[in-house]
Amino acid sequence: MIEISSDVIRGYNDTMILFILEKEPSYGYEISKQIKSISDGKYLIKETTLYSAFTRMEKNGHIESFTSEQDPEGNGKKRTYYRITDAGKEYYRTKCDEWGLTKEVVERFIEH
Amino acid sequence: METIKSYLEAMFAGMPDTPEVRKAKAELFSMMEDKYNELIAEGQSENTAVGTVISEFGNLEDLAEDLGLTKEVQELHDIESTHPRRQISRDEAGAYIANRIKKAMFLALGIMLCITSVACPILTAESGDGMVIAGPALMFVFIAIGVGFIVYSGFVDNEWKFIRRQLCFIDMNTASYVKEKRKSFESVRALCISLGVIICIICWVPCMLFATTSRVTIGPAIMFLLVGIGVFLIVYANSTAKGYDILLRLNDVTTISGNYGDPEPAQVKYVSKTAETIVACYWPVVTCIYLIVSFLTFRWNLTWIIWPIAGVAHRAVVINCRKYDD
Repeated sequence: MIEISSDVIRGYNDTMILFILEKEPSYGYEISKQIKSISDGKYLIKETTLYSAFTRMEKNGHIESFTSEQDPEGNGKKRTYYRITDAGKEYYRTKCDEWGLTKEVVERFIEH
Repeated sequence: METIKSYLEAMFAGMPDTPEVRKAKAELFSMMEDKYNELIAEGQSENTAVGTVISEFGNLEDLAEDLGLTKEVQELHDIESTHPRRQISRDEAGAYIANRIKKAMFLALGIMLCITSVACPILTAESGDGMVIAGPALMFVFIAIGVGFIVYSGFVDNEWKFIRRQLCFIDMNTASYVKEKRKSFESVRALCISLGVIICIICWVPCMLFATTSRVTIGPAIMFLLVGIGVFLIVYANSTAKGYDILLRLNDVTTISGNYGDPEPAQVKYVSKTAETIVACYWPVVTCIYLIVSFLTFRWNLTWIIWPIAGVAHRAVVINCRKYDD
């Protein structure tokens, strides 16, 4: 089975996370689950990759973290949630455009 | 769940203990916990769930850069390649503790023999001619054996010397094993120390009891025997307990898996160097005075009074010599 090369996808982990956070604030495991289901199980993001993406994006001001006692299922585990910032939304749009261009260019060199 | 925790501890074992690293560890654990719980809820066995969580965890090199720890991680790698931090396994910890008990035993016995040796010349002092020489001779034999034991106790743990010289660490399992052992030793230690202190406090009672009888020298002889036993108990208990603490303190600030021991007790401070010397020499000097006065006067029935006086005076000396922080 072909697996996604982590080198290629690295630049778009942030995009995926921002895509999910644009809908609603979420937390680590929930985000990794969504990435898995949206990609039909073709991409599994590792915990370390996910956490380093959070720290990096928070440092860059694309997301903000907050602690919440209550998750949607109503159990009381204390979790760190993340929400997207305006700068994050802007960055997401730029990344989408960038990907459009990247895809267009790379596609020209691909034989099907 | 414990396996996941241990795995994470082991992954972070070489990382510096910074707030960022702590947070990373807590967050990663939370994510792993969520995933594990969901896999269990889906009906997976515990082992499969742990296996899946660990295989999908990733690696720490990913983290180092974003945690701003590239330099630290590199430094740690450098240190570890030149001086590898040695892991002390659970079995080794058990062996070390057994060895420590042996060391404590020899040290305590040695000190006890040196203290009780004084009883020999006291006992024989008032006996016939031949015995007068036998007493001091026996005293030196006791001292010789005692010193031999003390010296030997310094060599007993030769094969464990690396624990002091080399960077070592213990994992969580070993730490809880040692903690368990220390906990069960705690009651023995409390008993030993209370008994030891009580014996040392009442050691002069025989002197009073025998003071009015014909054999006045028996009192001081028993007193030294009692002091010897008391000191034996205290030294044995403390020296053994130290073994557990040494193991628990192996992990330090550079190992995120945490320092399992209590922090080092604050050093007692003295007002000056002279004060420190006075306190250190106090009891040996009192012992010398007691022995000299007793042997010169041969009034063993009276000279024991030096001890209670010295005990009270000691408190005054310590209060004046020690520096107390507010």
